[in-house]
Order: sequence, then structure tokens, then C-alpha cells
Amino acid sequence: MRILALLVVALSAIPWSARAAAEPEVTVTLSATPSEAQVGNPVRLEVRVRARGGSIEDLRLDDLKKHLALEIVSHQTMRPMQFSFGFGSGVQKESSIANIYVLRPRAAGTYEFSPAVAKVDGKIYRSEPLTLVIRPSTGDARDPSNPASAPDSSPGADLTGARYDPRAFLRTVVEPTEVYFGQQVNITVYLYTRIRLAPQSVVPSKPSMDGFWVHEDPITSLQFETVSVKGQQYRAYPIQRSAAFPQRSGELTIGPPKIAFDAGTGNFFDAPQRIERVGVPLTVRVKPLPPPVPANAVLGNYAIDARIDRRAVKTGDAVTLRVNAGGVGNVNDLRIDLPPIAGVRTLQPAIRDQQRLTNGQLSGTRSWEWILIAESPGTHRVPPIELHFFDPDTETYQAARTPALTFSATGATKAPEPTIQPVDAPPKPSTATFGPIRVYSALTRDRTPVRDRGWFAWLLALPPALFVLLWLGAAVSRHRERRGTTASAVQRKLIREAESALQAGDPRAFYDRIVASITHALDARLNESVAGLPHTQLLARLGAEGFDDDLNQRLINELEGADFARFAASGVNRDEMERCLKRTSAIIERIQRSASAS
Amino acid sequence: MRVSFIAFVLIVAPLLGCATASAQEAPRRTGGSSLTKIFESANVAASRGDHAIAIASYRKLIEAGVHDPDVYFNLGTSFAQSGDYPRAILNYERALVLRPNENKATENLRDAEKALEEQRAELEGEATIQRSSSISDAAYGTVSEDALAYALLIANLAFFVALALVSIGRRRHRWIYALLLASGALLLISALGLATKAGLLRDGPRLVTLEDRIALREGPDPRAQLRGEARGGDRGELVDRDGDFVKLRMVSGLEGWTRASGVGLIDSDHGRH
Repeated sequence: MRILALLVVALSAIPWSARAAAEPEVTVTLSATPSEAQVGNPVRLEVRVRARGGSIEDLRLDDLKKHLALEIVSHQTMRPMQFSFGFGSGVQKESSIANIYVLRPRAAGTYEFSPAVAKVDGKIYRSEPLTLVIRPSTGDARDPSNPASAPDSSPGADLTGARYDPRAFLRTVVEPTEVYFGQQVNITVYLYTRIRLAPQSVVPSKPSMDGFWVHEDPITSLQFETVSVKGQQYRAYPIQRSAAFPQRSGELTIGPPKIAFDAGTGNFFDAPQRIERVGVPLTVRVKPLPPPVPANAVLGNYAIDARIDRRAVKTGDAVTLRVNAGGVGNVNDLRIDLPPIAGVRTLQPAIRDQQRLTNGQLSGTRSWEWILIAESPGTHRVPPIELHFFDPDTETYQAARTPALTFSATGATKAPEPTIQPVDAPPKPSTATFGPIRVYSALTRDRTPVRDRGWFAWLLALPPALFVLLWLGAAVSRHRERRGTTASAVQRKLIREAESALQAGDPRAFYDRIVASITHALDARLNESVAGLPHTQLLARLGAEGFDDDLNQRLINELEGADFARFAASGVNRDEMERCLKRTSAIIERIQRSASAS
Repeated sequence: MRVSFIAFVLIVAPLLGCATASAQEAPRRTGGSSLTKIFESANVAASRGDHAIAIASYRKLIEAGVHDPDVYFNLGTSFAQSGDYPRAILNYERALVLRPNENKATENLRDAEKALEEQRAELEGEATIQRSSSISDAAYGTVSEDALAYALLIANLAFFVALALVSIGRRRHRWIYALLLASGALLLISALGLATKAGLLRDGPRLVTLEDRIALREGPDPRAQLRGEARGGDRGELVDRDGDFVKLRMVSGLEGWTRASGVGLIDSDHGRH
């Protein structure tokens, strides 16, 4: 239990001891590797501050933003921190911040960097300035992001839609790049890679396709084909396939795709490396349909049919008219207007779509179901319904048409009823009601959390501190009590034994107890055993403890006398033994008094 | 006698200190009449539907140092009613930090998230808002930081009283051991909770992205390579700063640098958004 208590106290003390204040040792460095490079060659720029015993608040290199010709390829920040514990010196914290930039110079010149500035414990520290010399490219340095500048680009390697990278890159393939309004565009994003990837770690991000209606063709497993690019073998994984349909004419942009994946070496002990790549945006030119455009004309190739579920009804009863339009294209674009039918009330249609992507071509069926309510008796005719579509291959408009349908109604004329709401009502905007506004507030200002108030730390530290004091006090008290009790009891016992020996007339035992009694009193007083000490050393020891000379002399005399009497017991009479007992009691009393006084 | 003395020393002295300290804090809670007028005029504007004026007035209060859950609630409501759901989410979150166990603010926050999702889904087909899913945040979400601080003080006191009775006292009853165990458990739970609330278990203060599709880059520079995008209303943590740029770690794990103006901090920096 005491060990537990000590542990708690020690743990409580750590936060306070860690705040030992000392002047920090600070080093700020600014370096470039290499300090001279050619245009296009990467340069590693490192800004580092190292502080021993202080807290780093800021590290700045302002000039980096001024040199626009230095492209920042990557930026990494490292913050290692070490603690060392030393007796007497408390806790020493050594921390550092390093900003490492990989720059790609885009123009030759001399780039001057003023010193990097670090702020440690409120004080400013500066590095040395730096000069970076960039020389014009001699032709060896190539911009790897630009495949056109790569001399080893083989003519057969078609890299349109890609930002080439020797390890891995993304490529977007768009077919075709010039289409009519509503015509299908196939978009496939490939990952070309020469490094081993962990399939479960692949996280692709879709390219933005504003202005398109998109039907995704999900890829459920990563499969690759091997292709040759710039003389190197790559694995090309299709990571995304979409059929996109432009919803307006003009130039539409397909945003750059992105991907992140882990590249592993296959070695169990190597951590995988996270690789991220971004592709390039592509533009699709969308032409309007050639005029004159028939009403509701769409792009594709469709067939259409219509039927009604009954031919004869009573007035007020409903007939269901179902029209199906199916074919190749985006059926979402299909629109049909049913003309008004005299004597028949028409409700809003229910529309259902079915779509499928087969061999990269989207096809489907759209069905309309109208409820027709005969309000007057007689024969009612549903006129032919026409669907116009534009075939991009022949660049001509065509039309599909349903035959006219009739049904008859019998009975009295029914008065028109209010229109029923459409079956598929459009989604309403959010109906959430926020609030209500609160009209009363305490308007609490600058509220400091309890934990940040000054008294909180003191109150938290008070119980362990009081506990430590109480525990130490109790321990000392117990120790003294135990020692005092034991010493006094032994003392009394020895004196009683001496008195018994006096009564029994046994001088040898008497003087033996006298010597033991004095020695024990000294042991208790000096906290060490004096039994084996020669009298000269004992005298010196007593003098060092501050015993007065008279007591010292009496004590030594009594011990010497007792020693002598133990070996010449026959010459000792009872009176002398009684006097000796009195003297010894007086000496012990003086020893104990001196102990209390000290 | 001994036990009574120990209990007196360990209990009464800290409580006296606590009472004195609380008495010193009390005068800071007063609000001026001019602030009340601004609050009332903001409320009038909000009830009229004049959200721009209401928002400006509530912000004025915050800039004047008012950090009150009701003000943040009203500001969040004004933003929500004007359709700016990311800022509504930010201010409801701030209201919940100051007064965690409040149903109406929680309900409004969920409604704002839902409205943002619906708004986005209408444009894009589907939408999801990234929310924080930390276990510790969920466990301590409904307890205020101050309540945890007081619980820590009481548990600390009870623990050391029990420890003193066990190690110093002569009579060791079973209830003392029970008190030791219970107070030790409460001490650990409240310390963990306070550490969570104080952000010691996070890499930085919590934030909400205020603009949609903000670019997260490799470094604190607009020319740095793009890493990804964060959507308005997404949650994350601020892990680093460099001038006008901040480094975000989103709930999805995406990290990157962006301009500080595009994000709002939940835990501090209340004045800007």
C-alpha cells in the first residue's frame, strides 16, 4: 500500500517538475541540396529549428512565396521530440521542426533567400541566408510531367489524357470527343503503373462531369492488361467507366481523376508507401442537334408501343394507358406529351425507367402510365403518340409512332373532379424548421473553462500534497514511538535485573547489568551500538555528540569500575553496590535528559 | 479522532479554496446593457427574417467577447434559415460545446446536416456529410467540460482521503476500500473525459469546413500539388498552421493545406465565422 501511495505521489509530481525553466539552446538552419542545379532538376530545400529546453512556436521562410519560378512539388513537415530525465536538472525537452520542400525550378537565375525565422519561447532566432543558383537546362534535364519533352517517347505510345510519370500515372480516355447534344460519351480512367499495388488500398476519386448526365459502370475487381509506354511495360488497370450524356451544347470539361493507393515491396517488414496521382482534365465539344429540330426530339434509336387495359368502361371509371419506348440511348431524355382528349380527364403519368449498359452502349425502356377517366359517354380516341429521334450515324431525324386507340364509355356524364396530385411528386425542399430564436441569454463573456482557472491546478494538487505530508508525519511519529517505547522498556528491565542481583548478593551479575544498562542508554541516545568501542574512542564519540565533560568522565569511570568489579567480585560489598546503582541511575537519567534536550 | 482529523484536512481545506475561487470568478459573468440591446435587436431582425442583419449583430456580440450558447444557437439558426448550412453546423457545434446536453441544439444540428445533404443530393444525386466518429467524443459528448473538471476534483479528493485512511488510519473498514476503488475509477474516467474535452487526445482543435470543395494541397502554398477536396460542413482537425494556411486532417483521413478563411474552429477562435 505504501508503494502504491508513493507511486501516486510521484506521478502527481511529474507535471510540476517538468516545468523547470531554463534558457533554451536554439539552432536554426536553412539548406538546399544541391545549391546549384539546372532548370527542371529537383532541389531539396530544408528549413529546420532545433530547440533544447524551449517550446517552438513558429518557423517561417517567407521568401519561398516570392520565388514563383520555384514550383513546390512536395512539402513535408517533421516534428520529432525527445525528453531526457536527469537528477537535479528535471525534465529536458528537445524538440525540432523541419519543413522539407522539393522544388522544381522553372526558370534559370539566382534565388536569394533571407534567413528563416523561428520563434522559441517568444524570442526570435534566425538562420543564415541562402543563395540558390539555377542554370539553364543543357538538354539532359527533362520535365517528366510533360511527355512531349521526353525524347524517348515512342510514337506508338498514345498518352493523350495523361500526365506521364515513370512510376504510375492516370489516363482518361474519352470516346468520342466531339458529339451531338445527348449523344453518349464513353469515359474510362486507367491507372498505368509499374509498381506493385495493394488492390484493397486503391481509393479512386471520380472526375467532375458538370453538364453531363452520367451512368456509372461499376468496376468490381481490378484487372489489368500489360501495355508498353515509352519502351517500358506498364500494367493498365481500368478504375472507372462511365457513359456520359451531355445536357447542353458547347465545350464541356471532364475534370482530372484522382487516385491514392499503397505501393508495397512485398517485404513483410517494409511499410507500404502511399501514392497519390492526379490525371488531366479533358474537353468534349458538344454540337447542338441540326435544325429544324422536331418537338421533343432526342438522340438515339427507339421503338414505341401503346395499349389500354380495357375497351369499355362506365363513365367515371378509369382506363389505364401504357406507353413503352425502348431502344439505344438515354431514356431519361424521352418526353411525351399526351394531347387532351375530349370527354376524358387525364391524370399525371407514372414514369418508370429501366436501363442497362451492354458492350459500352446504354439502352433502356421508359414506360408511362396515364389514368384516363371517362367523364362523358361515347367512344373516346387516344390519338397516335409520336417520338422523334436523331440518329448520329446517318445524321437524320426519324420518328416512331403508336397507333390510335379507342375505348367506349357508357352511363351519365360525370362532373369533373379536382385534379389528383401526380404520382411521382418532385422532392420538396427541406422542411426542417430551425430555431426558435432564443429571446433570453445570460450573454456570458470570456468564459474560462474550470480547468484553465488558476485555482484548479492548486486544488488538484492539494489532496496528494496533504496526503504526502500526513503520511510522512504519521511515519515519523510511528518510528519515534516505536523506538522510544522499546528503549525505555529495555532500560527498565536492565535496572530491575541489577536490583535483583543486588538483592541476591551476586556482584558479578550486578555489575554485568550495570554495564549493559549504561551501554544500552548510550546505544539509544547515539542510534548506534557502542558495546565494542574502547573507552578512549567512546569518550571521543561522546564529546562529538556534545555530552559535557563531567558526564563523560563519570560515565567512563563507572564503566571502568564496573568492568573491574566484575572480575574482582569478592572485594565488593553491598553498600558499594547500592551506591553504584544510584550513580548509574543518575548517569542514565543525564544521558536521557541530554537526549531530550538535543 | 485520527480519521476525523484526516477527513477534515483533506476535505474542508480544498472546499474552502474552491468556494473562494468561485466567488472570485462570479463577477466575470455579468453582461452590459449595450450587449443586451444588440442581442435584442439581433433577435428582432431574426424574427423578421432579416438574416443578414441578425447574423451581423450576433457576430458583433461574439467579437465583443460574448461566448454564450444561446448566442451561438441563434447565430446557427440565422445561418440555417438563410441556407448557409455549413456555418449553421459550426455554430450549433459551438453551442453544444458550451452546453452539451441540449436537445434543441442537437436537433437543429441534425436538421442542418440533413438539409445540407438534401441540398447537395438534389444537385449531385447523392451526398454524405462527414461527421466525427470518435468513441471518446461519443462517450463524453453529453457531459460538459466543467462538470468533468469538478468531478475530477471531487474524485481526486475522495481518492486521497480513502488512500490516507487505508495507509494511515488504524481501523480499515470495508467501505474505505470500496471508496478507494470507486473514487479511483471516477478519477480515471473524469481525467480521460477532461483530456478528451481539452483536446489532449486529438491532434488539434476540431473544425468545420465552411466553403464547398475547398482544395487541400501538399503544402501551404496555392501552387502546391492538389491532394483532394473537402466539402462544406465536413468535420476535421486543424493539425498545423503556416501564415494564412492551415493544415487539415478530415474525418475521412484526407490531409492537406488550405486557406484558413475556408474553415471554422469549433473549440476556439469563435470570432471569425
